[in-house]
Amino acid sequence: MLFDLGNAGTPADYLPGQFNMLYVYGVGEVPISVASYRKEKLLMHTVRSAGTVTSVLTSLGAGATIGVRGPFGKQWPIAKAKDKQLLIVAGGLGLPPLRPVIEEALAAPDRFNGVRVLYGARSPPDLIYTHEYDRWRGAGGCEFFLTVDRGTREWKGNVGVVTTLFPKAGIDPKGAVAFICGPELMLKFSILELAKLGVSPENIFISMERNMSCGLGTCGHCQLGPHFICRDGPIFSYPQVRDFFPREGV
Amino acid sequence: MHTRFSTMGIERGFFPKQNDELAMRFTTQRDAIPKLIQNLQGLGYVVIGPSVSEGVVRLMEIAAPDDLASGVVDIQAPGRYRLSGGSSFAFSAVNGPDSPKKFLHPAEVELVKYTEDGKGIELVSAHQSEKRYAFFGLRPCDLRGVEVMDRTMMVPGFEDPVYSGLRNNSIFVVVNCTRAGENCFCSSMGTGPGADSGYDLAITELPDKLLLDVPERRANLVKGIELAPATEEDLRTGEEMVQGARDQMGRRIEEENPAKSMYAGLDSCVWGKTAERCLACGNCTMVCPTCFCNTIRDKTDLRDGSVSRMRTWDSCLSKDFTYSAGGNPRQARAARYRQFVMHKFAYWTDEFGVYGCVGCGRCITWCPVGIDITETVNGVLKDRRERTAKLEAPPTV
Repeated sequence: MLFDLGNAGTPADYLPGQFNMLYVYGVGEVPISVASYRKEKLLMHTVRSAGTVTSVLTSLGAGATIGVRGPFGKQWPIAKAKDKQLLIVAGGLGLPPLRPVIEEALAAPDRFNGVRVLYGARSPPDLIYTHEYDRWRGAGGCEFFLTVDRGTREWKGNVGVVTTLFPKAGIDPKGAVAFICGPELMLKFSILELAKLGVSPENIFISMERNMSCGLGTCGHCQLGPHFICRDGPIFSYPQVRDFFPREGV
Repeated sequence: MHTRFSTMGIERGFFPKQNDELAMRFTTQRDAIPKLIQNLQGLGYVVIGPSVSEGVVRLMEIAAPDDLASGVVDIQAPGRYRLSGGSSFAFSAVNGPDSPKKFLHPAEVELVKYTEDGKGIELVSAHQSEKRYAFFGLRPCDLRGVEVMDRTMMVPGFEDPVYSGLRNNSIFVVVNCTRAGENCFCSSMGTGPGADSGYDLAITELPDKLLLDVPERRANLVKGIELAPATEEDLRTGEEMVQGARDQMGRRIEEENPAKSMYAGLDSCVWGKTAERCLACGNCTMVCPTCFCNTIRDKTDLRDGSVSRMRTWDSCLSKDFTYSAGGNPRQARAARYRQFVMHKFAYWTDEFGVYGCVGCGRCITWCPVGIDITETVNGVLKDRRERTAKLEAPPTV
């Protein structure tokens, strides 16, 4: 979904990793990450129909008006990956918040010691942004890897969860800085596998998803231990959250 | 004797004194109370104080001095609250289910109202309140409760306009406790039974008169009241009576500054055991003076199609409180009960620099099955101490 912000700003006002609260009149608000890159003309959000608000949101036609409240949260620490190997790991709808990072990296790949993008989805029809893959692959310094949990007859690529790509991606354990976003289980196993390879926890950053509702740290819904995901996150370094995630029920 | 924790050990400071202004100390007769109320009303405040309603002392508007719950004594126990009479004190009840939260962070509030005309969404109105509250006869724990709320709802850059508007227009007449309620443990949390800062007027009710602590800037509150300078004897009696309440307190938290130990007790068996009794009704979070959690929903007016964004209290004990498309992280009741207690006794200190619990004991009284939060916390602390001791004990061969 592309949104014309009118006079409310430009995509450059929304940093990679941040999210907006999208509001449908009379229905409610949902937190959706910013998928556009600062040099693009329109603000972009990628929404899957899942609950009440998103099902209405995804059925709106061109020209509809919605409310946008934001941006909220912290951004991916791209500067931390300078001169390091930038490792981007996305699962399913974890790709949209990482799309601006990919675009940012491709705009000046020389800042990094190589860029690896690893993306996994449940099945080939679940893959998103398929029209961008050739451009991402063709960009200098970027290697792009795809996998699906279950293949189809036509699928010729890798089958397996996203961590099965790790041995193929040429990860530099000492020099990699990883940005990971996806379902909690995928985060958990990606972190585990990276740790096994020897990537230091300080160099692992994850984007957490909870029920963000106010965006200001005053409604309490998105708390994870002592963190408000909306205000202190959604991007965290792994040491910040490891006592609370992936511990059951926190 | 269990002494009051001076700081609860938090580096960022626990309720520093607002300023070093001199408080003037006077005594006056008990019959000055109507005049005090009148003065507050004369300054344009809606006076809120303890008043009996349906067998419970609630915080309500005190239009006339007779509305005050004078002479009424509250008898509290886990899961139990009854009133009896017979006290000669004007401020005789300790605390009921209401706290200033009811007024400063209302249970339901319309944040904004919108209309849609087919071309776009238009703002009709945003929340505004000119209300000015004077809390009269507030207990020290509740005053600290407001200061805890300040830290959660008025974080610089994330200020909640509803709360800060109402709060900044409020003043607080606190009454120091000379009797501890059955479920009170404020002395463990460093929030009572006497208030030492943050009030606009403090009253200690002596057997035969009132001892007033009047900050210089609030001299107008005692205008027209016959005052006598407080004697050494008056001050000593007041201190002894507050100390009496402290000594009377039957509940306590066993460790000073327990946050670190609580973090280490995240996996304690106490959570699951206690949650077997928990009904997940959320009463504890409703009566808690610092629980701020809420949910914002759309309410559509069928007459004109306008939409109000309504904010209502919510509770971390509710099953769907953490539900999102990615799943429900706190599906288990034990996880939700743990969240409530861990938030108060651990997470809060990292989020806001203070404990989230002020030791008022309301969650114990109003829990339908009488779950005692001090028992839970002490249980987790004990569990941890024993496990640590086991690890450190020399091996028995």
